[in-house]
Amino acid sequence: MSGTDIVLQDVRKVYYKDRLEIPVLEGLDLRVDAGDFVALMGPSGSGKSTLLHLIGGLDRPTSGQVRVGQAELHRMSERQLTAWRSRHVGFIFQMYHLVPVLTAAQNVELPLLLFRMPARQRRQRVQVALDVVGLGDRMDHRPNQLSGGQEQRVAIARAIVTDPDVILADEPTGDLDAATSSEILDLLRLLNSEFGKTIVMVTHDPRAAARSRRTLHLDKGVLDREELHAATPTGAGA
Amino acid sequence: MALPISYNWRNLFVRKLSTALTFIVVTVVVFVLAVLLSFAEGIRASLSSSGSRANILVLKPGSTAEGTSIIIPEEYARLSQTPGVARGPDGRPLISRELYVQTSIPRRGPDAAPANVAVRGVEDTAFAVHDEVRLIEGRLFEPGALEVIVGRAARDRYRNLELGGQIALGRLGNRTCRVVGVFEARGGAFESEIWAPLTLLFDAYARRFVSSVALRLGDPARADQAVAYVNGPAVNLEARLETDYYRELSAKTREIVVLTTILVGIMGVGAAFAVANTMYAAVDGRRREIAMLRTIGFPRSSIMAAFVVESLLICTAACAAGLGLSLLVNGSRQDFLSEATWTVLAYELRVTPRTLIAALATAGCVGLAGAMAPALRAARTGVIDALRKA
Repeated sequence: MSGTDIVLQDVRKVYYKDRLEIPVLEGLDLRVDAGDFVALMGPSGSGKSTLLHLIGGLDRPTSGQVRVGQAELHRMSERQLTAWRSRHVGFIFQMYHLVPVLTAAQNVELPLLLFRMPARQRRQRVQVALDVVGLGDRMDHRPNQLSGGQEQRVAIARAIVTDPDVILADEPTGDLDAATSSEILDLLRLLNSEFGKTIVMVTHDPRAAARSRRTLHLDKGVLDREELHAATPTGAGA
Repeated sequence: MALPISYNWRNLFVRKLSTALTFIVVTVVVFVLAVLLSFAEGIRASLSSSGSRANILVLKPGSTAEGTSIIIPEEYARLSQTPGVARGPDGRPLISRELYVQTSIPRRGPDAAPANVAVRGVEDTAFAVHDEVRLIEGRLFEPGALEVIVGRAARDRYRNLELGGQIALGRLGNRTCRVVGVFEARGGAFESEIWAPLTLLFDAYARRFVSSVALRLGDPARADQAVAYVNGPAVNLEARLETDYYRELSAKTREIVVLTTILVGIMGVGAAFAVANTMYAAVDGRRREIAMLRTIGFPRSSIMAAFVVESLLICTAACAAGLGLSLLVNGSRQDFLSEATWTVLAYELRVTPRTLIAALATAGCVGLAGAMAPALRAARTGVIDALRKA
């Protein structure tokens, strides 16, 4: 294993509801090499989001191993996982989850507050992150002053501002129209190809999945099949 | 690892109504606390600045106040042998016979409610014994004339006590006396009184005894010796330091402080529930936001701190508002009926640094008590659940 490869071995995840055992992942093995761009697809309840949460250290497997780079997530405490997430993972959500009372710049700055960093350096990094997503001129806008696509761009800037190794995106285009979705996917591809970010993206949309390097199909908690994609040019549409 | 204060501050305005109601509730609690404490502080300040450590006050044994004490001339005569009594420039011992009576005078203000005001009959030695008494307007009364002087607080609080004003004294109210002077006494209890010639009161109230005798000591350090003499068989009266006498009268303020504490405690519990209600609403409305913050790496402690800070911001602002309102009554003159003397003591409401500290502590406790449970709920928000329900 090298860099920030993501490796899952024989991972089981079981939830309990009223003492009822609900298996979600059943002995799943997965490898995502550093710098890869993987889409996870599958029907509702197939375990896509659970898998994303395990890779992001938001949850721990019932059994099996989850490694991201040198970190053995299955052995880490909640506190260690929290600290690890802040340094190594950027999250992008379907509903953006921006703080409505903060400006775009302040939203992007949030993850940097977890580091000992001078305010000036924080401002510089926020500026760079917003420039990368094309919103360098919207720093002082509040979320309600931005379009959906712009909000998602701010969320992407927030995900990359700490320069994480891995970006995890949960339905990042699920709430956007086709044209805006395409722009967001272009941005993700840019982060993958130009900045070398490892991206794992959950999506229901085959056109979005087609913009990744490969798509993994999950069904009933196991990897059903894998689909490799030819390099799709930027701006090819979602 | 703390979230920026702007995040907390701006979130307060997201739920304007509940934030405003909580703000009002805490403001009222702080205002009531500050006014009640300034009430107690005003009385305490007035009584604690009364009297002198160089004076001993003599009353009838068993009397707790001058109004219930009777010292007949034979008893008074025995006091002249008290050891350590200072002498005036004319060589006379500084012993002040004083008769304490009451008269009813309407208060200033639209309702003109009558108040029992203390009238003290004194001789000229009284001004040497009570050397804190200082004329600030007019002149002293002439012996034998129907004239009185009044304390500054009494003049400010009651009608007809300004210079040139007239009041009726005597059992039948048939001695109309003119106010010829106004005095101050370092803000002490004398300032709530009217002083008249002793002979005038003897005549007007048909009394042949005095209420108390104040003795000025040459050396205050030898007060014990003088007190022992007066309390002993040679005199058989009851003496105490004048300052101790007024301290005992101020015991009432301790009751006020206790009652204030209980009242504000009950109100504080109610306010804490109001704060909790607002904060629970804030937590429930921001579950996704909390989940996002936890996801990007903010620990539970930061989330908890954010909600505690929000609560404290409301309570600190309310504290400032409550104190600001209380400053409107700061310095205003009120009066207080002493259970010991059955006369009123005029005093100023005083917002002191101690009041500020008590108000801040109360607002802080209300803020913390109200925030704890909601902040814990916020810190325990299930990240995955909250993200899924988004």
